[in-house]
Parts: sequence; structure tokens; C-alpha cells
Amino acid sequence: MQTMHAESAASQEIRIKGLAVSQGIAIGPAFPFGSGLQDVRPRKVPEAEIEAEVQLLTQAIESAKRELTLIGEETQERLGERSAEIFEVHKLILDDPEIRGEALRRIREEQLNADWVFLQVVEKYEQSFSHFKDEYMRARMTDLQDVKRRVIRQLQGAAKSPGDGLPGPAVVFAADLMPSETIHLRRDYVLGFATELGSRTSHAAILARSLKVPSVVGLGPVCQYLSPGTPVILDGYSGQLILNPAPETLERYEKTRSLYEALSHKLARSRTLPARTKDGKDIELAANIEFFEEVKPAVADGAMGVGLYRTEYLFLMRDVLPTEEEQYEEYVRIIDALNRQPIIFRTFDLGGDKAQRHFHVHQEANPFLGYRGVRLYSEREEVFRMQLRAILRASVRGRVRILIPMISSVSEMRFCRTVLESVKEELRAAAIPFDEEIPFGAMIEVPSAAVSADLIARECDFLSIGTNDLIQYTLAVDRSNRYVDKMYHTFSPAVLRLIRDTIHYGHAQGVWVGMCGEMASDPLATMALIGMGLDEFSVSPVSLLVVKDIIRRVHFDECENLAERVLSYSTADEVENYLSSVFRRKFRDLIINDPNHPLVRREKS
Amino acid sequence: MIEKTFRIKNKLGIHARPAGQLVKVATRFKSAIYISRNGNEVNAKSIMGVLMLEAGHGSEVIIRINGEDEFSALAAIEELIDKRQFDEE
Repeated sequence: MQTMHAESAASQEIRIKGLAVSQGIAIGPAFPFGSGLQDVRPRKVPEAEIEAEVQLLTQAIESAKRELTLIGEETQERLGERSAEIFEVHKLILDDPEIRGEALRRIREEQLNADWVFLQVVEKYEQSFSHFKDEYMRARMTDLQDVKRRVIRQLQGAAKSPGDGLPGPAVVFAADLMPSETIHLRRDYVLGFATELGSRTSHAAILARSLKVPSVVGLGPVCQYLSPGTPVILDGYSGQLILNPAPETLERYEKTRSLYEALSHKLARSRTLPARTKDGKDIELAANIEFFEEVKPAVADGAMGVGLYRTEYLFLMRDVLPTEEEQYEEYVRIIDALNRQPIIFRTFDLGGDKAQRHFHVHQEANPFLGYRGVRLYSEREEVFRMQLRAILRASVRGRVRILIPMISSVSEMRFCRTVLESVKEELRAAAIPFDEEIPFGAMIEVPSAAVSADLIARECDFLSIGTNDLIQYTLAVDRSNRYVDKMYHTFSPAVLRLIRDTIHYGHAQGVWVGMCGEMASDPLATMALIGMGLDEFSVSPVSLLVVKDIIRRVHFDECENLAERVLSYSTADEVENYLSSVFRRKFRDLIINDPNHPLVRREKS
Repeated sequence: MIEKTFRIKNKLGIHARPAGQLVKVATRFKSAIYISRNGNEVNAKSIMGVLMLEAGHGSEVIIRINGEDEFSALAAIEELIDKRQFDEE
């Protein structure tokens, strides 16, 4: 009895909030990542065994190099040559005559164990790196750490990678998962990923989404509270991490998890059915993606194409701009995976600090009103042209459309059209084939573009509404500012009117209108948007099935009536209350009754 | 023995990838090859050594080569640093 008491006192429930980057609920034992390595301590090696110890290190380095070759090949296959280059650098570090020479010499001279000596040698370099002035150079320390861990793991006879070290299904914890570490993970053992650092685009987040396991990043220093086997709940919906959950917490989460499972099982049945209203109106339902890995799962969940391909990834993951050839290869891969279903390429949308690496961006007092999106294109026309060339060349392999971000005036659209036509001319002259009829669209995310959508629609073939920026610009609210974030209302009458007008203006000019912002993924908004006449919904992949389910259960005229009513309200609260009451009445089965898990999810665009 | 001074023109300087390229080129030759910056000389066949120079954009480095194939080694290094600028901008 006494031990039980002691245990429960030691295992208090702890809740930590991070950033949810991949949905789902994982319940299981924690596997803190560093635990793959045992402590390295100095140990005297008897004279007679010194040469064997030297041999051990040489072998460990050689096996580590073989591992890196494999990882490099896998990475090249998945992400292209440039991404694989870092593993070549890791191999060069292992081959470094200075490191190897010093390590071997010190094993002999100091008669100490190989893992300890290797650690000392590498950490000496790490020290020097940490004093570098150049932040970029300083960041190379992680490469050294990756190499160090790899060799020590070999020496300790541990498994090849932490995934193989997983004793069984577990939630994997790490400071920040390194690419080489995640690539071998035994996938059926990974219940979820949790990291101390990271963002939506960090490696762990991308991998988690492609594996469809829950993931929360940016948790801060959590690993210190964990030991292998600590029971945890990782909530990839709310970003909550719960250590040592109390029995009632556990019970509640298990219940929620099974509700989600039952619901997604039920929704999955309509995967292959058309997104068509009961009275026969077809809606184009597509997915927002960022990476090649996301295409296949989205198509499997019934996406009829990609309504927003965010092309920034290639620009952000590297230190140098991607070449035309690299872009072309990546685009072809994605288009081919879609099997002639349409895809909208949003040309690179960089701004603020994201652009700093490639463009000379100055410190701006107000980056959201500053140098971003299409505004970079005139100064860096060659980068824009290169991307257009790559997209055009790839366009012969499928049904490609081009979308320009952050349009705020007709002149910007005309500028982009002129550049597009000149790139086409260049390709014609070189007899390089491309889709002559490639549709060209403007993203409507700035109020000035929304109120003059008729003028902009005359310049293009389609419009796509980006709601996140449209809301923040219309309401003058920065959602990440906690002093005003409560004023960020998706259902503000002002926003709804801009959306209604944009659709109306587009149709009047004979172009179709889609939406790729977060609102398109919001089940609460689906009926109202259908009613306003939206032609295309591009949603986050996890929302595909629920949005389709709603489309299939409504009549177009009832949506029209609902939209009309919604547009008659004067405040966002009135709209939201009305939509919620309709939703509760019509779609009770889609609501999971848990205050921590409202059905409506918000995604960043 | 030959020696030549280079100015690093690519934007990010000799970071991991360019350092790797330089080491790979240097290792192809029999000659002993050294690279120095601000009087700090290291083995150009050691990636750690090269990285430790922290040779950023605009910095000056001296390449010193000694051995039977020193001229072809210098030509290969010139090609990498000056002509190709480490294949970066």
C-alpha cells in the first residue's frame, strides 16, 4: 500500500501546451529520444586491448558511413539531391583526418575507451562552433551532434536508430528530431511525435502528417520530466501533452479517441463518392498541400485534386534558391502522383523573416503590410521567371493552374501576366512544350482585391479566396497578438460580405471562384459557402471527409436560404450562433461531445 | 609549393556544403593542401578544419599546395571557388 502511495505522489498529472501539427490522440508510454544513448563515461582500457579498442572505433565509423549512404539514398529519392547533400557532409566529417587521427591517437596515448574519446574530440569542435558569430554557421552544430550520436550508438552496440530501439509502441520525444533519425523509425511502433522545438514545417511535423500519427511540437523542455515508459497522452488536436494522466483523464481521452475513430471510420465510407449535393450540384473538393508526401493520402481520402500547393517549401528548406531543374523535378513528381487531377500552384509566397535567406529584406516595422507575396516579384523577376518556367514545363504532365499570392491591385496581376507570357514565348522559341491554355488566377486575400474582384477577374481565369489574410486585413487584427486575438472573427459580417461579393464578381465575369483558406475547412461554414455559390473548396487534408459528408447531405437551395439569412445578421456572434444551431440540428453525429475537442478545427494557411 | 589568395563570393560563405565540396576536391589530389584565413592555417582535406575558419561572404582565404600534382590541384580549386562559386549565388 505504501509503495502505491509513493508512486502516485511521484506521478502527478502534468499538462503542457504545445503546437498541434498532426491530428489524433496518442496514449501510451513515452520514449525519450536521447535515451537511445547510454551515458558515456571514461574507462581505462588495458594495454593489451588498446588495438582492439582502436579497431572498434574504426569499425563504428565505417558502419556509420554505410548508414549515412543508405539514408542519403533514401532522402534523395524522397526529397531530391539538395536535401541529401547534408548526409554527404556528415560522411566527410566521419572521414575527417583530423577528427579520426586525434581520436585514434588519444585512445592509444590515454588508454581510454573509444566512445569517451570520440565524444571528447567532437565536443571540442562543438565548443568552437558555439562561439561562431555567424548564426548560420553556428547552426551546423546540429550536424556534428548528429554525427556524434550516430557513432556512439554504433559503439554502444545500440540499435541502428532510435526507432529500432523502441521497445514497443510508444510516443517518441525529442529535442528536435533530426532527419537522419526519423527516416528509419519503425513506423508501426510510433504512436506519436512530440518535440521540444519545432514548427509546423519542422521535419517531425511533416513526417507525422505523412504517417498520420498525432504530433505536437514546440513543447519546451519536457524531456527532463520524462523517463522511458512514463505514461503520456499526446493530443494532436489541441496541442496538449499530459504526463502521468490521472485515471479519470485517461478514461476521458480514451473515450474521445474512440469517438474520433468511430467517426472517421464512418466518414471514410464516402471516400470514393462524389462531392455532390442531394439535388445534384457538384462541388470541386480539393486539398491544400505542401509536400509530395501529402498527395497520395489526400487522393486516398477523396481529394479531386490540389487546390493549393504551397511552393515555398523548396525555397525554405535550403540555403540556396532551388534551381529550375530542382523545381521542375519536384513539380513533376507531384503532378504525376495526381494522375491528371487538377493542381493549383501558388507561386512562392514569402514575406517577413521567411524571405530573408534568399532576398534582401530589411527589417520592417509592419511586415504584414510590407514586402511579401507578389510584391517581391518585380524586384526579383528572375526568381519568379525561373519558377514559372519550371511550372510551365511540368504542366504538360497534368492539369496545372497558376495562382498569384497577395494580389492587391490590377497592375500587379497585369505585371505577372506579362511575365508569364514572356516566359511562354521563351519556351516556344526553344520548342519546349507546355500547356498553352494554363489557367491563371489571383488569390483574393487583401480587401482591396476583394472589393475590386470584378476588375481583377477580367485579368484572369479564376479566383481563389485566402481567408486567413483576408480576415486579418479586413478586421485589422493580428491573430497571433494575444491582446486582440479575440477580435479575429471568421464569421464577421464584413468578411462574409467580401466573400459574397468576390464570388458574385467572379461569376459575373465568367470565372470560377474557389477558397483555399482555413474557412473552407471549417465544417460550420460549409453550407453558407455553398449557398453563396463557391465553386471549389480546397481544404486541409484532414477535413476532406467531413466537408464532403456535409456537401452530400444538403440541398443547394437550403444552402442558399441559409446564406441569405447568415448575411442578414449584424454581428459575428449572431452568425456563429445561428450556424452552430443549424449544425447541431442537422449534423449531430459529427459533433464529438468534449469541450476540449470541438469539431471545428482551425488550420494555418 | 604554390600559394594563391581567394575572395569568397557566395552569399553564405564556406558553410557545410561548400566546405564539403572543397574537401572533396582537395582529397582527389596527392599534394598536401592547406587553407588559411587571418593567419589560421588548416588542412584543406579536413572538413572540420575548413569549417573552423568561419570564412563568411567576402572573406579572404589563402590556399597553399605542396606536392607533385599541385598545379592541377590549384586549377580544380580555382574552378570551384572562383568559377562555380560553390554552385551558389
